[in-house]
Amino acid sequence: MAEFKLPELGENITQGTITKILVKSGDTVKKGQNVLELETDKAVLEVPCNVEGVVGQIMVKSGAVIKVGQPVFTLSGSSTAAPSAAPEKPAAQAKPEASSLQPAQPSTAAAASGGVTEMILPTLGENIEKGTVTKIYVKAGDRLEKGKNILEVETDKAVLDVPSSAEGVVKEVLIKPGTVVKVGQPVFKIEGTVSIAKPASGISAAKEAPAGTKTTTPPPPVVQPPVSQAAVPAATQPAVHKDVPAAPSVRLLARELGIDIGQVPGSGPGGRISAADVKAYCKTLNTARSAGGGAVAAAQPLPDFTKWGATRREAMSNVRRKTAEHLSIAWNTIPHVTQFDKVDITELEKLRKSISGSNKKISVTPFIIKVVAQALKKFPQFNASVDMSTQEIIFKDYVNIGVAVDTDRGLLVPVLKNVDKMSILQISDELTALAERARLRKTTIEEMQGGCFTISNLGGIGGTYFTPIVNWPEAAILGLSRGATEQVYTDGHFVPRLMLPLSLSYDHRLVDGADGARFIRWVVEAIQQPFLLELNK
Amino acid sequence: MSSSVQVVVIGAGPGGYAAAFLAADLGMQVAIVEKEANPGGVCLYRGCIPSKAFLHAAKIISEARHAKNFGIEYNTPHIDIDKLRDWKKSVVAKLTGGLGALARARKIKYFQGEASFLNSNTLKIKKADGSQEELTFEKAILATGSRPSMIPGIPQSPHIWDSTAALNLETIPENLLVVGGGYIGMELGTAYRELGSKVSVVEMMSGLLPGADRDLADVLNKRVKNLFTKVMLETKVAKMEAVADGVAVTFTDKEGKEFKENYNKVLVSIGRRPNSENLGLENTKVKLTPRGFVEVDDQRRTTDPNIYAIGDIAGDPMLAHKATHEGRVAAEAIAGHKVAFGPQAIPAVVFTDPEIAWCGLTELDAAKAGLDVTVAKFPWGASGRALTLDRQDGLTKLIIDTKTQRVLGVGIAGVHAGEMIAEGVLAIEMGALAKDLEMTIHPHPTLSETSMGAAEIFFGTSTDIFKPRK
Repeated sequence: MAEFKLPELGENITQGTITKILVKSGDTVKKGQNVLELETDKAVLEVPCNVEGVVGQIMVKSGAVIKVGQPVFTLSGSSTAAPSAAPEKPAAQAKPEASSLQPAQPSTAAAASGGVTEMILPTLGENIEKGTVTKIYVKAGDRLEKGKNILEVETDKAVLDVPSSAEGVVKEVLIKPGTVVKVGQPVFKIEGTVSIAKPASGISAAKEAPAGTKTTTPPPPVVQPPVSQAAVPAATQPAVHKDVPAAPSVRLLARELGIDIGQVPGSGPGGRISAADVKAYCKTLNTARSAGGGAVAAAQPLPDFTKWGATRREAMSNVRRKTAEHLSIAWNTIPHVTQFDKVDITELEKLRKSISGSNKKISVTPFIIKVVAQALKKFPQFNASVDMSTQEIIFKDYVNIGVAVDTDRGLLVPVLKNVDKMSILQISDELTALAERARLRKTTIEEMQGGCFTISNLGGIGGTYFTPIVNWPEAAILGLSRGATEQVYTDGHFVPRLMLPLSLSYDHRLVDGADGARFIRWVVEAIQQPFLLELNK
Repeated sequence: MSSSVQVVVIGAGPGGYAAAFLAADLGMQVAIVEKEANPGGVCLYRGCIPSKAFLHAAKIISEARHAKNFGIEYNTPHIDIDKLRDWKKSVVAKLTGGLGALARARKIKYFQGEASFLNSNTLKIKKADGSQEELTFEKAILATGSRPSMIPGIPQSPHIWDSTAALNLETIPENLLVVGGGYIGMELGTAYRELGSKVSVVEMMSGLLPGADRDLADVLNKRVKNLFTKVMLETKVAKMEAVADGVAVTFTDKEGKEFKENYNKVLVSIGRRPNSENLGLENTKVKLTPRGFVEVDDQRRTTDPNIYAIGDIAGDPMLAHKATHEGRVAAEAIAGHKVAFGPQAIPAVVFTDPEIAWCGLTELDAAKAGLDVTVAKFPWGASGRALTLDRQDGLTKLIIDTKTQRVLGVGIAGVHAGEMIAEGVLAIEMGALAKDLEMTIHPHPTLSETSMGAAEIFFGTSTDIFKPRK
């Protein structure tokens, strides 16, 4: 019987929560037919089927979190695209992967992978050759899992926990507490193993001592700027490394990403570096960089709150989790400055009301978006991102503005594309439609990406000022609060004017304080004197 | 007259034309300045290609003689040197003409002439027709190559050849002395031997093919011992004098004893030197090393940001395939790609009979660096294919990192070694383990099986050779 597995959904999407299952057992499905509705951290998606046939058993429930590649339902009478189809050929179809997935059926698994092997004591750390067994955590009949501790060994340097380097069922324990064991010496006989601990190969050495890492904390990787020769200004020199096992295409990838291939740990046999290793290393560098060397708050242990009263734990929603991750990165990466100001929107309000009909409401946001779009052209450093790895600033020639939308499932920021080319009315229509789709969870991932600048309008709720967090990798965010009528002293008189508080947060790496003030002043004046927009063109 | 281009390539050997063609394919406006009417360089006009045509002819003669071993006897061949020379020339003409057409198809401006720098943006070109032209450029790629070194102080004589003269195939000398037992001397020496010359070799070092592992060189030694009249090792040439119809050569052996012999021709093949003179480099920021190579970085950029250098002029090894790769790197670097010249292995091939080829780490290198390696050797006596060719004089070996079991070097001696070495280069570039070679199915019966066989030997599980396990 074939299975329908959750297909790839898009870049960086590995899982989602099922919000609806659109088929039931017995249904005939066709290729391209939507079978699931899935909420990811970016959007709600409909998942089309990539196989054909009659739905058998549905293996997931609404509300469950499923990962890409996870089986969703079984399928019969199918002519699938997947090569594993060939239904009902019982004996030949006993797939080895299947047996390793099923828990605790050691005898069949052993038959599939060929009998009893020995698990040896893996390398424990540099210059550690032997140790005394102090504890054995497993006994004959136990099932070993890779990475689970099996032994405690005392060496002349420390007491270490030794994790298993193999999977399978322990047949015989070859050592006792008190036994002195050497690296490479067999410790267990195991059956049904998917072992990587073949005798005396260098592979375990290349994996570098899983136990040893417990005692020493490796320093966070440091991004080294490429060495440039004095005589060759502005040359980014991709490094050449001899004796690093990586294919030419992988080396090229590392050069393109600006990564020193010599620093990348290889996961392949003999320490071979794959393209995936380069990408993973790149990710750790990015995380280390965004953490800015400081400790991330999440890493701190929490106190036991139940000491003080009842608590309950709830899983974070995808949106909440993503928001938490993203804002941590933004806050840790960007040195924030927030500049406040007030803008007189008395005239703007008159205009806005005059063009808002009963069936069409125009808010103040589209006007501000239009002004900001112009401001981004005037102040290009606000439409930029920092690339610290190459020590470059990326300037953008397009103007896409994200608008923070408060929905029942959390904060979403759909992006209005090319607003500099749109009229205020077009922006208004587009914004209304986009915000509505966001509230109905219908925005696509594309609609949530590509922003240059974000506007967050809390005016509907109230408050005077706030300090918005820049939506990294953008350079700045403008917060709007509630406008209020104030006494303004003009030409010797106090006059009532409608004043809107503005809060501009920006990335101080890109924008100097003076430019921050200039930007917000320009925005204020352009709103008060709209002709400025045209004058400055 | 003056004109301007984005990229100018000076010298159109295998490095230069590869760079120029790729630069043009990447959308740049390109010019070539080259002495010859068509691209090709030493490799096509005076090196790889003519020598291989010549060696092919020699191999036919040797194989015909060899066939006697298995019952096929030919008469002594009649050699028409004029026809052989014409055939060699036609091969060269076909290839270089083809390259000329490829350059025109890419709309590359071709200047036949010699260039020298006026500054870091301007070249003066002395054209073959006698006129002069200035050419301004954004980037230049120096690819002027190298030329044979000569022993200082020897007389000018038509009887003293360099490799270029030897490849002209003017005559088949009765007696030929080859000075220098490197790859050029061995290739040309064995080829002239097959055409009928009596050949002697003199080499300063203690063995032929210095730089190659001894076990590989020994496979060739065994054969040339019977071919050559005399192989004089650890011997120097003290003096050469022009005499009637030849050269009188005085040698000094390792004991310091002098002796004298007469030869009809002497081929001096003691190495090559970079063509870095008379290019006006003093008008740029380009720096040279003490040996006359141009200093370059990993992208083959010189100390002058506008000028790149590739091929022989950019340093050892002076091999066409290294130059080609460098040329492509330089062109891409100019186009702004993040490339670098960082091969894990550059193959070296000696096209003698048998051929010697190696890549990556040699045993000599490993010993020098104190690396922990295991060498696995498969002797061709155990290869069915080698036996059917009646050429079991061969050896395939892997140099393997003992700890990681990575293949760090491959060496092959035997017929077709040059064709076989590519597998070793790929293995090293891909970071292959001995296990990978062992588990890759090689076609039977071929000589290529010997690399799989050597991997089996590493694991002590060879099908073809029994070796008790330790």
